[in-house]
Amino acid sequence: MRDQELYARWLGVGTRIGFVVLIVSFFVYVFGLLEPHVQPRELARLWGMPVDRYVAAINGPTGWGWLRYLGRGDYLNYLGVALLASVTAVCYARVIPALTRVQAVIAALQIAVLLGAALLS
Amino acid sequence: MEWWIWPLALFAVTFAIGVVAVLAGVGGGVLFVPIVGAVFPFHLDFVRAAGLLVALTSSLSAAPSLLAGGLASLRLAMPLALVGSITSIVGALIGFALPTGAVQVALGAAILAIAAFMWRAGRSEHPRVGEPDALATALQMHGVYRDEATGRDVHWKVHRTPAALVVFAGIGLLAGMFGLGAGWANVPAFNLLMGAPLKLSVGTSGLLLSVVDTSAAWVYVNRGAVLPLVVVPSILGAMLGAKIGARLLHVTPGPVVRNIVLAVLVIAGGRALLKGLGI
Repeated sequence: MRDQELYARWLGVGTRIGFVVLIVSFFVYVFGLLEPHVQPRELARLWGMPVDRYVAAINGPTGWGWLRYLGRGDYLNYLGVALLASVTAVCYARVIPALTRVQAVIAALQIAVLLGAALLS
Repeated sequence: MEWWIWPLALFAVTFAIGVVAVLAGVGGGVLFVPIVGAVFPFHLDFVRAAGLLVALTSSLSAAPSLLAGGLASLRLAMPLALVGSITSIVGALIGFALPTGAVQVALGAAILAIAAFMWRAGRSEHPRVGEPDALATALQMHGVYRDEATGRDVHWKVHRTPAALVVFAGIGLLAGMFGLGAGWANVPAFNLLMGAPLKLSVGTSGLLLSVVDTSAAWVYVNRGAVLPLVVVPSILGAMLGAKIGARLLHVTPGPVVRNIVLAVLVIAGGRALLKGLGI
């Protein structure tokens, strides 16, 4: 069960890193240590809109455009979310060498699906 | 109303959801979207995104210890997670393509159906499995784990894998479309359909959720539907609540709480349905 132990170890470390980044960035945001793209007071007027109208109203980024906004307190939080959403693909890649051929194919397909979701959706 | 009241209220509500979900033996993800969608002023797009991320972070934090303890199986989860993650992406895309009213109606109907399913679904500690099917054999979906409660090694194998692939495709679609955690469906599918032992089913459900929800989460991230003021208090509240719930587990009547949760689901699902119909 080396594959399972490896997966567990990498998942544990990756998840902890993602959590720390998410929590720290959230406090940076709510305590105003970095200027947000949308002030919380303004956000409260907009969060009842569908996401497409909201993004248009704030002239906000879609896709990976948030990377250009990492200097803004609110979009800094996307970094933690993206890390948490990347951990699984990294774990799959790490265990491929320990899997049987059929399982390795499934793992490779899973990584392709995750990358497709991240890059194309 | 001041803006900061909403994240604080959200933290309080998700804390309560976290406590109750553990006591009732259901995933908090299935409670989050209907309750928060009904009570808070956020658009359903943001609520679905937050619900998915709450379910994702809960499963990510639980999976390492479940895997290390042998109570989740990577081999069992991998093929089913692959199918579920593809359909969860499709579900998330459909959710954004449909008008909000249609999603509300579908969510309400889904929640009512889930409540009925949870009311009826049974569980089997160690289901009897005859011969594993050819696919389960080829994918080596079998193993052994140590049951610490009895001190025995439990050997397990599964069957009906092709049917399970279809079922998990449907579960993934619902999870992605509505941002619902899918433990309510994963566990019976592993346990009653495939014949996996109950403890392994619960553990592997958590692992599978971490993969399926990750796929759909990217769709929500790429649309810009992640509002930190909604997502982070929800995650913190649900996780803290789950920890407290686990401590209260032995002093609380589980069946009573479970019935209350089912009643809440019926009310929240009915409200979503009526809201979607404009009533």
